[in-house]
Amino acid sequence: MSNAVSTVAEPRVSLPKVSAGFRRARLVLPALLLLIVFFLLPVLSLLLRSVLDPSPGLQNYAQLFGSTTYLRVFGNTFFVASVVTAVTLVIGFPTAWLLAMAPRWISKLVFAILLLSMWTNLLARTFAWMVLLQQTGPINRLLMWLGVIHEPLTLVNNLTGVTIGMTYIMLPFLVMPLHATLRAIDPTTLRAAAICGASRWQAFWRVLVPLAMPGIASGALMVFVMALGYFVTPALLGGPEYMMLAELIAQLVQQLLNWGLAGAAAFVLLLVTLSLYAVQLRFSGRAPGASGVH
Amino acid sequence: MQQPLNLHALVRALIVTAVVSVTAPAPVFAAAAPIVFASWGGTTQSAQQKEWAAPFTQASGIQVLMDGPTDYGKLKAMVDSGNVQWDVVDVEGDFAYAALRDGLVEPIDYSVVNKSQLDPRFMSPGAVGSFYYSFVLGYNKASFKSGAPANYADLFDTQRFPGKRTFYKWSAPGVLEVALLADGVAPDKLYPLDLDRAFKKLDTIKSQIVWWSGGAQSQQLMASGEAPLGVFWNGRLHALQQTGVDVGISWNQNLTAADMLVVPKGAKHKAEAMKFLATATSAQAQANFAAETGYAPVNLKSAALLPADVAKTQPDQYKATQINLDMKYWADHRDEIAKRWYAWQSK
Amino acid sequence: MLLDFDRLGPLRWALLAVGAAVSLFLLLPVLFIVALSFGDSQWLLFPPPGWTWRWYGMLFSDPGWLDSLITSVELGVVVMVLSVVLGLFASLALTRGTFRGRALLKAFFLTPMVLPVVVLAVALYGFFLRIGLTGTLVGFVIGHLIIALPFSIIAISNSLESFDTALEDAALICGASPFEVKWRVTLPAIRLGLFAAAIFSFLASWDEVVVSIFMASPTLQTLPVRIWSTLRQDLTPVIAAASSLLVGLTVILMLLGLVLKRGKS
Repeated sequence: MSNAVSTVAEPRVSLPKVSAGFRRARLVLPALLLLIVFFLLPVLSLLLRSVLDPSPGLQNYAQLFGSTTYLRVFGNTFFVASVVTAVTLVIGFPTAWLLAMAPRWISKLVFAILLLSMWTNLLARTFAWMVLLQQTGPINRLLMWLGVIHEPLTLVNNLTGVTIGMTYIMLPFLVMPLHATLRAIDPTTLRAAAICGASRWQAFWRVLVPLAMPGIASGALMVFVMALGYFVTPALLGGPEYMMLAELIAQLVQQLLNWGLAGAAAFVLLLVTLSLYAVQLRFSGRAPGASGVH
Repeated sequence: MQQPLNLHALVRALIVTAVVSVTAPAPVFAAAAPIVFASWGGTTQSAQQKEWAAPFTQASGIQVLMDGPTDYGKLKAMVDSGNVQWDVVDVEGDFAYAALRDGLVEPIDYSVVNKSQLDPRFMSPGAVGSFYYSFVLGYNKASFKSGAPANYADLFDTQRFPGKRTFYKWSAPGVLEVALLADGVAPDKLYPLDLDRAFKKLDTIKSQIVWWSGGAQSQQLMASGEAPLGVFWNGRLHALQQTGVDVGISWNQNLTAADMLVVPKGAKHKAEAMKFLATATSAQAQANFAAETGYAPVNLKSAALLPADVAKTQPDQYKATQINLDMKYWADHRDEIAKRWYAWQSK
Repeated sequence: MLLDFDRLGPLRWALLAVGAAVSLFLLLPVLFIVALSFGDSQWLLFPPPGWTWRWYGMLFSDPGWLDSLITSVELGVVVMVLSVVLGLFASLALTRGTFRGRALLKAFFLTPMVLPVVVLAVALYGFFLRIGLTGTLVGFVIGHLIIALPFSIIAISNSLESFDTALEDAALICGASPFEVKWRVTLPAIRLGLFAAAIFSFLASWDEVVVSIFMASPTLQTLPVRIWSTLRQDLTPVIAAASSLLVGLTVILMLLGLVLKRGKS
C-alpha cells in the first residue's frame, strides 16, 4: 500500500475511472429491463395504434388538433397543473423550510402530520374533501356562520375543488424532498453571506434559493408532471368545464373504446412533458453547489 | 380419388364420437369449471349474486364467481387478446346494442334463453335484459314546500324552482331527451335527436347543473341537499326514501332504460353462460331481484309474482306517460353524440 | 442565519403560523373521515344525526374488506422493497455513471409518471392477458413497481446529488473497504432519500386505483379498488370506517416507534 499521506491529493486509489464507470452503468440494468419489457413494449404497441387504428395514417392526430374540444382539454390540463404547482410551491416552501430548521419537536410533529395525511388512503381523503366542500358542508357553514359569506360558495365540482384536492395530495411530494435539500445546505454559507454584509432579503434570494433550487425544481417538476396525468382527484372533485386529459383519455379507452385517438392524445402529452423536462435540464444544468459542500 | 377414404374416415370418427358421448359419464357437478359474472358492484351486484347466481349454482352445480366493476376497456382488451376472463357481463343498454356490431359479444343462444317471456323492449340478438329502470324527476320535498316540480319543464325553471339541478354526467340516453321534452318536443318525435335544440335548452341552466357520475353520488347529492332536484334512476330514489330522506318523485314522462347481459366474444364457458342467462331472466329470479333492488324485471311473467308493496314502486305502474329511450338509435349514433356531448360539457 | 431558527426574529412567527395552518389543512380531512365513520346516516352528512358503531361492524363482518386490506399491505411492502433496491441501483448509475445518454435514460425512467395511468393500465393488461399474468400477485407487483419506480429514482437521485463523494474518498483513504464505504458512509448519508423513496413507493402502490382495477380478479382485489367501486355504487360510511381504522393503526405504530426510540436512548 503506497504512502497514504503522499497520495491524499489523488482521487480513489484502487480503481481506475473507466471500469468504475462501467460497473456503475451495469447497476441500471435491472430497472431498465423491467421498464423495457413491461412498460416500453406494451405502451408502444398501444401508441402505435394511434397511427394504425382504425386505418393507417395520421387521422387521429388530425382529429386531435382539429377539434377545439381536445385542444381545450390540453390547455386546461396544463393550466390546472400550473395552478396546482404554483399553489403547492407557495405553501410547500415555507413548510419545508420550517421542517428543515425548526426545533426538533416542532419539525417532528409537522412531519408526523405530513406522514399521517399521506398514509390515509387517497380515495378516502378525496371523498372527505367532497363532503367538506359541499354547499351544505362544514366549510361553507362555518363561513356563513362567521358572516364572511351570505350564500354558500361552490367549492367542489369545479376548478377550486380540483385545486384544493390536488394541492392537498401533492404537498407532501414537494415538501419531503425539498426539506431534505434545505437541510443539506450548510448554514455557514448563509453566515458567510451575513458577514459579507448581505441583508436577510438578499441572503434569501441570492444564497438560499439558488442553493435550494435543485430541490425546488425537481419537486415542482414532479408535482407538475403528476398533476398533468392525474386522474382520481379531478374525476371526483372536478367538473366537466375543466376536464383534464387523464379523464378524457380514460373515456376514450374505457367508454368510447377509441384506442387510436387515446394513443394519439397520450403520445402528444408524453412529447410535451418530455420536452418540458429537457428544457428544465438545459436551464438548471448542474448548479455548482448542488453536491452540497466543496 | 381420395373420396372413398375420406368418407370412411369420417364415418369412423362419427361412430367413435357417438360411442364416446354416450358412454362418457355425465359431467360431475363438482368438476364443472366456474363461470365469471362481471357487473357494477354494490348492492345491485349483491342482489344479482343472491337471486340469480346462487339459484343457478344450486340447480346446475356450476359456481359463479363475481367480478367487476364492468369496464369496457377491459372487455375489449380481453376480446382482442383471445384470453377472455369474463363469461357474462352486465353492460349499459346502448353499449349492448353496439357491441354485437363491433364484434365484442357472442349472439345470444335463444334456444336456451326463453324468448317468449321476455319484454321485447329489452332483447336483441347480442344481448338480453338484465333489469330495467326509469329516469324520473326527483326532488327534495323540504326544499319545495310551496309547490313541487311536476315535469321536466320545471327543471328548467330556475325562478319557481331555485337550486342546483343534477343530471347524469356521461354521454348516455336520458338527459338529452329530458331537455327536448322540456322544450316541448312531442314524445313520438324525439328521434332522431335534435342535438342543437337539446344543448341550447341545457345552456339555459348550465351554470346550475351539478353532474352525478354514479348512482351513489346522485343519492349523496340529493340527501345532502347539494342538489335539491334533478333526474335520477328510480331505484336510487326509492332507496333514499327507505333510509328516511324525504324525496318526492314525479313519474311524468319517465324514461325507461335497461342494463343488459352479454356474453363476450370468445368466452371460455359460452354454453354455461347461456344457461346462466336463462336463469337470470327467468320469471322468479327477475321478480326476486326486483323485490330486493327496486329495479324492474325484464320478464313479463314476473309482475304477477311481485309482492304488492314492491309492485307499487315499479316503472310499469307508470306506463301512462312512459317513454322508452331508443337504445338502437343510441347504439348507432353513440360516437357522434358522445363527441358533441363532451364538447358541450367542457365549454 | 436564515437556517438558524433562533436567529430568525419575526420571521419565526410567520413560519410557525404557516406551519400551523398547513398542519391543520393536512389534518382536516383525516379528522373528518374519523368523525364520519361514526355518523349514523348512510349518507355523508355533517354533522350526522347520530352516532353509531355499525359501520365498523359491517367492516369486520365482510371478509372482502379484510382480504383487500391484507392484499394491499402485502403488495405495498413487496413493491416498496423492490422499488427502493432497483431505484437505488438505477440512481447510482444515473448520478455517478459516466456513460453517455444519462439524461435521456433518466427521462425514460420518469416516463411512467408522465403517461396517463389508464394508458399504462390497458397496455399492460393486454400484454398480461397474452402471457397469463392477469389476476396474479406477480402481475400486480410488476404493474405497481413500474408506477413506483420513478418516485424512488427521483428521491434517491436527489439525495445522491446533494451528497459529496469526497466523503467516500476520505473514508477509502482512511482504510475502509469499498463495501464498508457504501454501508457506513453513503447509505446513512442518503437515508432521507431512501426513506422518502420507501414511503413514496409504498404509497404509490397503496393508493393505486386504475392499474389495480385492470389487474383485479374475483380472488385478488386491493383496497382502493374496493373503495372505488363502493364510491361509485354504494356510498356508505364503511369506507370512512376502513380509512379511520388505518389511520388509527398508523397513529399507534407511530407512537410505538416514538416510545421505542426513547427507550433506546
